[in-house]
Amino acid sequence: MLRTMSNQNRVPTMAGAAPAEFNRRVFLDALLAVGFVSTAVAIAYPVTRFMIPPASGEPATASAGAGRAATLKPNSARIFKFGSRPGIVVRTADGDVRAFSAVCTHLECTVQFKLDTAQLWCACHNGTYDLGGNVVSGPPPRALEQFVVNLRGEPGDEEIVVSRS
Amino acid sequence: MALQQIVDWLDERIDLSGIRHFIAEKGVPIHTQEVWYYLGGMTMFLFAVQVFTGILLLLYYRPSAAEAYESVQFIVTQVEFGWLIRNVHSWSANLLIALAFAHFFSVFFLKSYRKPRELTWLTGIVLLFLMLGFGFSGYLLPWNELSFFATKVGTGIAGAVPVVGPFTLRLLRGGDDVTGATLSRFYGLHVAILPAITTALVVAHLLLVQRQGMSVPLSIEHRRKAGEPLPQMPFFPNYILRDVLAWYVVLALVAALAAFYPWELGKKADPFAVVPPGIRPEWYFLAMFHTLKLVPSHVLGFEGERLGVVAFGLIAVFLVLVPFLDRRASRGERSPVFTVLAALGLVYLIVFTIIGHYAK
Amino acid sequence: MFPITSRCLPVLVVMALFSPARAVAQPAPPANTCLTCHAALTDTRLATPARLFSGTDVHRERGFACIDCHGGDPAAGDKARAHDAARGFKGAPSGQAQIATCARCHSDATLMRRFAPKQRVDQAAEYATSVHGKQLAAGHRDVATCASCHGPHGIRLVSDAKSPVFPTNVAATCATCHADPRHMAEYKLANGTAIPTTQFADYQKSVHYAALTKGNDLSAPTCNDCHGNHGATPPGVGAVANVCGTCHAVFATKFQMSVHSQIFDKGCVECHSNHAVLKPSDDMLGSSGSAVCAACHGGADDKGALAADRMRSGIEGLKAGINRSGALIAKVRDAGIEVSDQELALVEVRSRLTLARTEMHTGNPEGVEAILGEGTTILAGIDRAGQAGVVELRFRRRGLAISLGAILLLVVALWLKVRQLDRRSHR
Repeated sequence: MLRTMSNQNRVPTMAGAAPAEFNRRVFLDALLAVGFVSTAVAIAYPVTRFMIPPASGEPATASAGAGRAATLKPNSARIFKFGSRPGIVVRTADGDVRAFSAVCTHLECTVQFKLDTAQLWCACHNGTYDLGGNVVSGPPPRALEQFVVNLRGEPGDEEIVVSRS
Repeated sequence: MALQQIVDWLDERIDLSGIRHFIAEKGVPIHTQEVWYYLGGMTMFLFAVQVFTGILLLLYYRPSAAEAYESVQFIVTQVEFGWLIRNVHSWSANLLIALAFAHFFSVFFLKSYRKPRELTWLTGIVLLFLMLGFGFSGYLLPWNELSFFATKVGTGIAGAVPVVGPFTLRLLRGGDDVTGATLSRFYGLHVAILPAITTALVVAHLLLVQRQGMSVPLSIEHRRKAGEPLPQMPFFPNYILRDVLAWYVVLALVAALAAFYPWELGKKADPFAVVPPGIRPEWYFLAMFHTLKLVPSHVLGFEGERLGVVAFGLIAVFLVLVPFLDRRASRGERSPVFTVLAALGLVYLIVFTIIGHYAK
Repeated sequence: MFPITSRCLPVLVVMALFSPARAVAQPAPPANTCLTCHAALTDTRLATPARLFSGTDVHRERGFACIDCHGGDPAAGDKARAHDAARGFKGAPSGQAQIATCARCHSDATLMRRFAPKQRVDQAAEYATSVHGKQLAAGHRDVATCASCHGPHGIRLVSDAKSPVFPTNVAATCATCHADPRHMAEYKLANGTAIPTTQFADYQKSVHYAALTKGNDLSAPTCNDCHGNHGATPPGVGAVANVCGTCHAVFATKFQMSVHSQIFDKGCVECHSNHAVLKPSDDMLGSSGSAVCAACHGGADDKGALAADRMRSGIEGLKAGINRSGALIAKVRDAGIEVSDQELALVEVRSRLTLARTEMHTGNPEGVEAILGEGTTILAGIDRAGQAGVVELRFRRRGLAISLGAILLLVVALWLKVRQLDRRSHR
C-alpha cells in the first residue's frame, strides 16, 4: 500500500475526472480505516475483558467458602455450595470442624445433621453416617467424601474454606 | 505520512531495499483458477486464530485430570467472553482442518506439487498431518466423557500398528491406559511440541511459496501461447487485500458459528464408566475410523484392524511421495492417473464421513 | 508289641520317617490312628473325611479329634479294636443322632465359653422349631441337618470365605437340596401342592444377589437373612413386612400406614416378589399395562386405580420437568452462563422424586403430591433462571450482530478498494 499510495500522490491530476476520483478514493480509504478500527475494537474488547481475572477467582470445585467459623456452633452443621453439589460442614461437640459432601452415596439425596444422635442422616431411605463420614446403617454403599477444612482470616473472624484435597 | 517517516527511519538502519524491491516486483498470475490461491492463506489465518485464542485459553486452563474439566467450565461460565474465546477456538479448529483439506485437494488436483515445488508439497503434507495431530491432542483437553473415550479408541488404533504399535501406544498414553498422564502429554504436545514444529514448517512453506511464486495450473499454462506471459496483479496491495478480505469473511463465519452453535462440554470423564455406545471420533477422523470398523476381523490370516492401519500408513507414505511418483506432471504433461486418484480419494473421504456419521 | 495289620505298617513307617518336627512347647499330640488308616484307604467315601479333617478344620485346630464325635479307640492299630462299640464307637451319626452329637458341645454354654464365648448355644433348640427339624422329627431322613450345611469334616468358621455358610455361599448351599426337584418331590406344602424349586434361580435374578456377589455388600440378604439360620422357616402372614423392614425400614413404616398392610397376606412380596426381587421402576405403579397394581385394580370407578394413576402421573410429571429443566440448564451452561446454583437445586428436585417414590408406599396420593409439589416449586425457580440465561444469550447475539456488522463493513470496503486498485493497475 505504501508504494502505490506514494505513487498516487505524485500522479498529476487529469483533467475533469481526477477530483471526483480523488474524493472517491479518500472516501474509500476513510471507510477502510473505519472498518479496520471497528473490527480491531470488536476483537480487542472481548479479548481484554477475557484477560481481566473474574470475581470468582478460580474454579469453584477446587475449593469453596462455607461461611464464618464463629456462626457454626458446636454440635451443629450447615449446608454449603461446593461447585454445583451440596456440601455439609459440621462442628462436633469437641469443637472440631469437618466438611463432607452432602450427597448421599445411595441415591444422591442431601444428607442432614441429626442433633439427637450427632450423626449425618439421609431422609430418603434412612441412611446414617457417623461424623467421620462412615456408613453406620442403611443402604448407602460407601462413606461420604470428606473434604479438607481450613480456617482463613483474622482470628475470631475466620472464614471456613473447604477444599477437595 | 507518519508511516512514511517510520519506514524511512527503519530504512536508514536496516536497509529495507530488499523488502521494497520484493513488494514492488512480486506479482500473482491472474487466470480463471486463481480462486484456489486463497485457500492456503485462509488456512494460515485460522492457524493464527488458533494460536491467539489458544494462548488466551492458556491463561485459565489447568492440565490435570482433577481440574481440566472444571477449568474449562470456569472459562465458559465465569470468565468474561470466555464462552466466545473457547467456542471460537473449537469452531476455528474444525474449519482449519476443513480448509487444510480443501487446500490439499486443490493442490493435488491442480498438480501444483510438480517440479520445482516438491519441497512445498512435502512441508505441506507434514503440516496437514500436524493439523490432525493438533485436533486429536486438543480434543482430549476438556477431559469430558466423549473426548476421553474417543482418545481411548484412537490411541488403541495407533497401538494396532505392527511392530511399533504397542510402543507408540504407551508413548501416546503415557502409560497403558488413558489417564492424567495422557492429559499432561497431550497438553505438552498441543501447546509446545506441535506448535514449534508447525511454526518452523509454516515458515519454510511460506518462504518456498514466496521464493517460487504461485504455481499456474497445467491447463492454463498449455492454453496460453508460447512465450506470452500471463497477466499479473501486484502481490502488494492487490493480492494481499483480497487475501485479507477472505480472512475477514472466515472470521465472520467463525464468530457466527461460535455465537449460534456453542460447543457443549458434556460430562466430566470417568475412567471407570462404561464406554458410551456409538462412541466415535471427530468428523475428520470419521472416514478412517468407519473404514477400520468395516474391515473384517481377520483377512488372509492377518488381524483386520492391523491390516487397515497398515493400509492407511501406506496411503500416507504414498501421499508424501506423490511429486516424485507423478513423472508426467513433473515433465509438464497432463497426468490423468493422479487426477483420478485425487478424485477417488475425495469421494472416498466424503462418502465414508457421511456413512460414518449416520452409522449406529 | 501289638499286632499291626499289613495295611497300616507301611504307612506308619513312612509317617515316622517323614513326619515334621513339632514345636517344642506343645505336648505330643495323642495318637490318632483313625486318620492314618482312613487316609490310606482307596474308597473315597472313607478317605475323604480323613483328608478334610486333616486340612482346615475348626474342631481339629482346637484340639478335637475323630473320637470326640465318632467315639472308638484312636490308639488301636486294627479296625476291629478301633471301631469297637465297647469303646464308644458310634459310626457316622445321622438324623437326630447327628443333631445330638453336635449339640453335646454346641448347646453347652459352659463348654462353648472356653472356645467362643460370644457364640450362641441355642442352635439345636432353634432347629427343632424349623421346617427341617419338624420334618426330621416326623421321620423324614432326607432333610438338612447340621452337617448338610456346615459339612461334617473340614468345617470352617462362618466368617471363612470358603465355608458353605459364608454369606456369598449360603444360597448355593441351600440350593443343593431346594433346587433339586427329585429331592424335594417327597415334601409338600401345607395345602398339598409341591414345594417349588425355582427359588435359587429366582434369587440369582434379584438385586440382593447382585449386591452380595458383585457389589461386595455382605450385609445384603441371602436365604438365612429372611428365613432364619437354624430355625429356617418361611416368614408367615403378617411377618413379611417386618422381615423386609429390618433393612428397608422407611418403606416398612410407610407400608404399615397403607390399607394394603391389612389386606396383603404376603406383604411386600405381593408386589416385589420374594426371591426374584428386581430393581423397582415407576412402571410398576399404575392401573394398566405392566403395572403391579393392575393385578387387583382396574376400571374407571376403582378408587385404588385412580389413586395409583394420580401418583404415577405426578411422578412422571416431575420426571419430565426434571428432564426439561435439566436440558435448558445444560444448554444455557454450554453457551456460557453460570448455572451451578440451578444444578444444585436440580439435585434437590431429584431427591424429591426419591422421597415421592418412598411415600407412594402409603398408598395415599395426597402425601405423594405434597412432596412432588415441593419439587415443582423448585423447578419453577430453575426454569426462571434458565429463561434469564436465554435472554442473556440473545443479548450476546445482538452484540455479535454488531461485530458482524463491523466486519461486513470492512469486507465491503476491502472489496471496493480491491476493485479500485485493479482499475488503477490496469491503467
